[in-house]
Amino acid sequence: MKELQRQINPKYKVSGSLAFFLICSIQIGVGVLGFQTSIVERVGNDSWIPVLLAGLMIHFLIWMIYKILKFGNGDLITIHYDVFGRWIGGLFSFVWIIYFWTIGVIVLRTYLQVIQVWMFQEINIIVVTLIFSLLLYYLITGGFRVVVGVCFLGTVIPSYLIFSLFYTMDYTNFKRLLPVWNHSTTDILLATQEMTFSFIGFTVLLMYYPYLKKANKTKLWGHGGNFLTLCLYIIIMVFSLAYYTKGHLLRQKWPTLTMWKSIELPFVERFEYIGISSWALIILPNICLAFWAASRGARQLFRFSQRKALIIMLSLNLLANYLIKTQKEIETINKLLSQFAFYLFLIYIPFLFIFSYLRLGRRKQHD
Amino acid sequence: MKFLKRFQKSNQKQQSEVDQTLPDLIKQFEGSKDFKQSNIIVGQPMTLYYFSSLVDDAALQRDVLPYIQKKEFQNLEEIKNTIPIEASEITNDIRTIQNKILTGYCMLQLKHNETVLLIKVKKEKSRKVSIPEVEFTVVGPKEAFVESLDTNLNLIRKRLPIPELRVDELTVGKLTKTKVAILSIEGITNEENLNTLKQRIEDIEIDSIIDSSYIVQLISDNHHSPFPQLVDTERPDRVVAVLSEGKVAFLVDGAPHGIIGPTTLVEFFSAFEDYFLNWIVASIFRLIRLFAVMFSILVTPIYVAVLTYHYEMIPKDLLGVLVTSRREIPLPPILEAIFLELAIELLREAGARLPTKVGQTIGIVGGIVIGTASVEAGLTSNVLLIIVALAALASFTTPVYKMGNTIRLIRFPFLFMAHFWGLLGVSISFCFVMAHLLRLTSLGRPFLEPIFPPRVNDLKDAFVRLPWSFQSKRPIETQAQDTIRFNQKKAKQKKEIDE
Repeated sequence: MKELQRQINPKYKVSGSLAFFLICSIQIGVGVLGFQTSIVERVGNDSWIPVLLAGLMIHFLIWMIYKILKFGNGDLITIHYDVFGRWIGGLFSFVWIIYFWTIGVIVLRTYLQVIQVWMFQEINIIVVTLIFSLLLYYLITGGFRVVVGVCFLGTVIPSYLIFSLFYTMDYTNFKRLLPVWNHSTTDILLATQEMTFSFIGFTVLLMYYPYLKKANKTKLWGHGGNFLTLCLYIIIMVFSLAYYTKGHLLRQKWPTLTMWKSIELPFVERFEYIGISSWALIILPNICLAFWAASRGARQLFRFSQRKALIIMLSLNLLANYLIKTQKEIETINKLLSQFAFYLFLIYIPFLFIFSYLRLGRRKQHD
Repeated sequence: MKFLKRFQKSNQKQQSEVDQTLPDLIKQFEGSKDFKQSNIIVGQPMTLYYFSSLVDDAALQRDVLPYIQKKEFQNLEEIKNTIPIEASEITNDIRTIQNKILTGYCMLQLKHNETVLLIKVKKEKSRKVSIPEVEFTVVGPKEAFVESLDTNLNLIRKRLPIPELRVDELTVGKLTKTKVAILSIEGITNEENLNTLKQRIEDIEIDSIIDSSYIVQLISDNHHSPFPQLVDTERPDRVVAVLSEGKVAFLVDGAPHGIIGPTTLVEFFSAFEDYFLNWIVASIFRLIRLFAVMFSILVTPIYVAVLTYHYEMIPKDLLGVLVTSRREIPLPPILEAIFLELAIELLREAGARLPTKVGQTIGIVGGIVIGTASVEAGLTSNVLLIIVALAALASFTTPVYKMGNTIRLIRFPFLFMAHFWGLLGVSISFCFVMAHLLRLTSLGRPFLEPIFPPRVNDLKDAFVRLPWSFQSKRPIETQAQDTIRFNQKKAKQKKEIDE
């Protein structure tokens, strides 16, 4: 039985500025490929507004999370322990661990689905998942420093893909965005709810906060990371709105991918093959950070080896990827997770914020 | 209890070594044919012992024998003062005697005293300092390390005539007793790096060290990595340059290489000539080299991936060329590629093992005859032949030989993954390499620096080499004690027009 770890050896801490990449690398993932459809369905040419609203809401939540972490001065598990006690806190922690794990599983599965549809119909999901699991095990056992490294490189190296958008310029018509705000506010708010799913994952901040040097001074970097994601989503949304007509877009499952089809280089015709393959590098930080957070949480909660927790989680991941078979199942899980995440954000985090303020924040002021 | 017994046993053994007396030692030496002893009966009876294979005969005849035969001596002190050789000492310590005799000293014994005089008449057999062959540069100094540690240290010290240059010497290997000299500059080198290196070399458990690469393998952070984690160089100027950057270096007796650490991945792709050329030229050359590495690793796997799975990726005009070249080939792309890659590896290996003149013939026979013949026979497509040949050529641009080997090696897993999963396989392999590089360290410092952890300051000498006026700070990677190399303001001072 190990101790609940409250302080991290400075040797294993990472520079605070990397919070930027930690936040945005997990937000940008497989969602970018096809987040447009469900929003455009509701609000058509105003779709960039929900993106903006969702992004701003996330900024607010990041502020709140930083406050919680400042009161608690630890990670989510220690805060739960301090605020709610061993059993209730443990239960909440357990839910969060499952949530992190599910993010990892569903991101990987959705990516494999994209591969099945676009590149290899007959790819053996189990074998690919196994290879990915080995990769994840190798990465996560390297410690948090390596995980951050993946987040950094997984953001920087594939950033060249943004240039691919400019090749679609010839086919865009930005007048399609007008008139602005011709949908009802309710629709826009509902679309905002849909959009939050694209931003999920940043809550992993609750787990890695103690690993940041001068953690409380990294707020700006964290917000910066979220802002980058926000800009990226808005740019992609605006381009897709200008590229497709509404009816055309609604027929696409992955509009971003279809946009790549219009790219023609002298030596490459179907650019989406390169794009999808490079996407492995983009989803790697997502899965890696999610599994890291889940295994780290399990280590803190059950106080046993993180390595063993990781092995168990990766095996369960293998099982889950085997069980989830059809596109429909993936969509259902995505939807459920999205709703769950939305309530987690909107209800649980403010709830934790208030409680940790009452239990921990005031005590500190009192001292 | 077993442990205790073993402990006592080893203790006894050590005890016996110490207890060995001088007559025992001489008896042991007499087992060898090249151990000589000669009695001198001028005054007091004296005996001279030495290994004829280690001692310089001329020096013995010239500087020792005439003096001790001249007159009678009462004690060793007198002899010591008469002989015109500075390196001599009087001792009765059996260990010292043994070591010195075995490193080219001769021993002078008066009667049968336990106390003896040791005189250095070492035979210096060493290659002359010559031109660097692996790291040859057109511009810049043309001296390379040789096998003698003293000569190598001389090459370094004459370039760094400062008292701060520190040389620590260690002995490694139970049989070979190889001397290892660790170089550092006091006040600049990070003590932690130095201590890590020292500790690791001290901890080495091995009987023989034949070359510096033995030590490199033994002290590397990750023994199983195909990537070299310490740079070895044959250029003394390079060692001096990195010492002044705050790194640590070591030289091994008997090895014509200096080893430098801590290093980063990009350092393996920087030729030392980059520092002798104008910074724009140097930077472009360095970028070309980095491109060559990526090209060399990725191009054949991409060919295999595209032709196995993603035909539709290629534009119509280009596809025509590819299909025509592959029309009559019965093999799948992966076999075709492996056949050619292996052929190139065979040529390289044969060329490396053969003497230079024969090697050239092999290159021509292999390159032209086999290549053309296999295309004509319809075993490989000529497009692939061009690609593989270019990739091989590109892999030879890496300035550090060991890195070149790694580049050629890691191409094969990429090839197989490309065969199984096309471009996805290539990018998964890339992820694996990235993960491995992220985990690697060199003397405990991150290997991928300045890419990760991102350090903008160190980018001045990574992918490009900025002009010297930008290089006023030592790289953060070395964690040097004194980070300032020179005053940047002074270096950057601009002259007013026409003044």
